Amino acid sequence: MAGKIEVAAAQVASNVRVAEGIFLLKLRGDYSAAPGQFYMLRAWDRNPLLSRPLSVFNLDGDGISFLYAVRGRGTGLLSRLSPGNEIGITGPLGNGWPRRDGRIALVGGGLGIAPLFYAAGVFSGSDAYLGYPDEPYLVDEFARVAARVMVSSDTGAGGTKGFITDIFDPDGYDACYACSPRPMLAALDRICSRAGVPLFVSLEERMACGVGACLGCAVRTVHGYARVCRDGPIFPSSEVMWNG
Amino acid sequence: MGDMRVVVGGLRLRNPVIAASGTFGFGAEYAEIYDPARLGAVCTKGLTLMPRQGNPPPRLWETAGGLLNSIGLQNPGIEAFIREELPRMKAQGITVITNVWGNDPGEYERSVARLCDSSVDAIEINVSCPNVSRGGPVGEDAIRTAAVVRRSRKVCTLPLWVKLPPAGGLAVARTAQEEGADAVSAVNTFRGMAIDIKTGKPVFVNVVAGLSGPAIKPIALRIVYELAAALTIPVVGIGGIGDWRDALEFIMAGAHAVQVGTANFVDPLAAVKIVAGLEKYMEENKITDWEGIRGNAQQ
Ligand SMILES: Cc1cc2nc3c(=O)[nH]c(=O)nc-3n(C[C@H](O)[C@H](O)[C@H](O)COP(=O)(O)OP(=O)(O)OC[C@H]3O[C@@H](n4cnc5c(N)ncnc54)[C@H](O)[C@@H]3O)c2cc1C
Ligand SMILES: Cc1cc2nc3c(=O)[nH]c(=O)nc-3n(C[C@H](O)[C@H](O)[C@H](O)COP(=O)(O)O)c2cc1C
Ligand code: FES
Repeated sequence: MAGKIEVAAAQVASNVRVAEGIFLLKLRGDYSAAPGQFYMLRAWDRNPLLSRPLSVFNLDGDGISFLYAVRGRGTGLLSRLSPGNEIGITGPLGNGWPRRDGRIALVGGGLGIAPLFYAAGVFSGSDAYLGYPDEPYLVDEFARVAARVMVSSDTGAGGTKGFITDIFDPDGYDACYACSPRPMLAALDRICSRAGVPLFVSLEERMACGVGACLGCAVRTVHGYARVCRDGPIFPSSEVMWNG
Repeated sequence: MGDMRVVVGGLRLRNPVIAASGTFGFGAEYAEIYDPARLGAVCTKGLTLMPRQGNPPPRLWETAGGLLNSIGLQNPGIEAFIREELPRMKAQGITVITNVWGNDPGEYERSVARLCDSSVDAIEINVSCPNVSRGGPVGEDAIRTAAVVRRSRKVCTLPLWVKLPPAGGLAVARTAQEEGADAVSAVNTFRGMAIDIKTGKPVFVNVVAGLSGPAIKPIALRIVYELAAALTIPVVGIGGIGDWRDALEFIMAGAHAVQVGTANFVDPLAAVKIVAGLEKYMEENKITDWEGIRGNAQQ
């Protein structure tokens, strides 16, 4: 699945704020990726030391894009990029979601919606369930690529009040692909396994190399420690040790 | 054009730039980016007689100019390495240095003997991992280091390097030399820690972790400078090397070769760029071989 890993200098096409503290960065050029894969990005020299992993939000004829929340110094520096700036990117990295026939549910919480947009475009006919902490964003864009879009938010703005797990019913789906903070993934694991629907989750860990060489991004699975950056970030939920 | 080749403690290298243990796996991942055979050598992840699963997460923590790691020598064990990784590495034309760790001198001896019966090119015994035992590593103690090096040397038919911790001092390095090491590599990571102020607890389960990266370079350079002055065997310089200028500083301090670790994470092409940078430097300054500049900073 993973093609050759490219280390490139990419040119910023645009970097727009789509919600409070959330930006969509588009890079010009010819890149490749499968849904669920990620890139390591850096827009600075040596501070911070490490590059930052971001999932591929979309890939089209014009380039590649990433949806990110400003959390600390790294994403803060990314948010200051302007069209024409150059940044270093390495990828595509990781395994990506498997290709499954049938009805697919894409379930995202918070920034976990980022890898689902490209998945919705590639796995056409999928339904998207998007959970937001506050005001929803990019819902119209999702509606253009997904068969159906369901929205929940903590305040009830733009959708149903509550968590995405309150409105998502796995019944009738052949597989579920999910990305969100870990507690919601653990909840989805219970919901999907009860319904007998295979669930594939995108996990996060702190990363250094991003390519599988340093063993720094280990997560516990039924097979022992796995590397999120190489063996993942997508794992069959049944193989993840949800209790630690 | 200058001659990039160098012999380090019995090991012939096509150039003096080595990928450091634990930062380059077994060369397979970076091989998707460039040909690792362009480096002087690849030093493997630390190997042990039996497989090790490594430490619980978190294993990484970024600091100002540095990286703390607590991997805990996760590795498939020597047999699996010889069966599954080594043939591919050799087929790719990589010069293979195996980094080895043991629980006691006897285990080092058995591991070294087994590796000498394979096609690896050299052995680097690791007496300096900060992440596998509470308290300091063996290499902070001259007597314990002597036992490990003696037992390993007895069975080692290949170039034998000893990788030192930053806090070992000259006494430990001299001991390694007296017990028959062909070279020392210095340094491994510094023992450091971090505290999560939200929980009020140490970030790492083992509390202590190993610090690497630009933050340690000046201290590593000072240690290499002192070792090169004190020892007759070659020194391999390690610690925060990020570009060819850093590498050149270590060579001028007296290092025969250098290892590049954390810089691979900053730029996946870092090590191979250092090879190119050194080559260009040699050419521009009409340096024909490393003898011309090695140790020139020594008083
Ligand atoms: C495979 C993968 C894909 C990701 N995709 C996205 C995405 O599409 N959009 C998005 O907004 N975020 C994504 N993240 C999280 C994102 O990488 C972090 O938010 C970012 O690294 C924070 O960097 P910072 O310098 O702004 O924050 P700091 O807090 O200053 O970062 C300090 C260190 O912590 C690490 N870190 C902080 N938060 C996380 C986290 N949640 N997961 C892993 N490491 C973290 C950083 O990489 C860095 O090493 C992804 C993470 C991974 C592992
Ligand atoms: C993630 C990581 C894993 C490491 N694993 C090993 C190891 O298995 N054996 C070893 O001798 N040194 C290990 N090291 C130490 C490096 O080989 C090197 O000595 C150290 O990082 C200092 O060099 P640097 O600043 O260039 O990284 C590791 C370092 C890092 C960052
Ligand atoms: S980040 Fe290095 S192995 Fe995953």
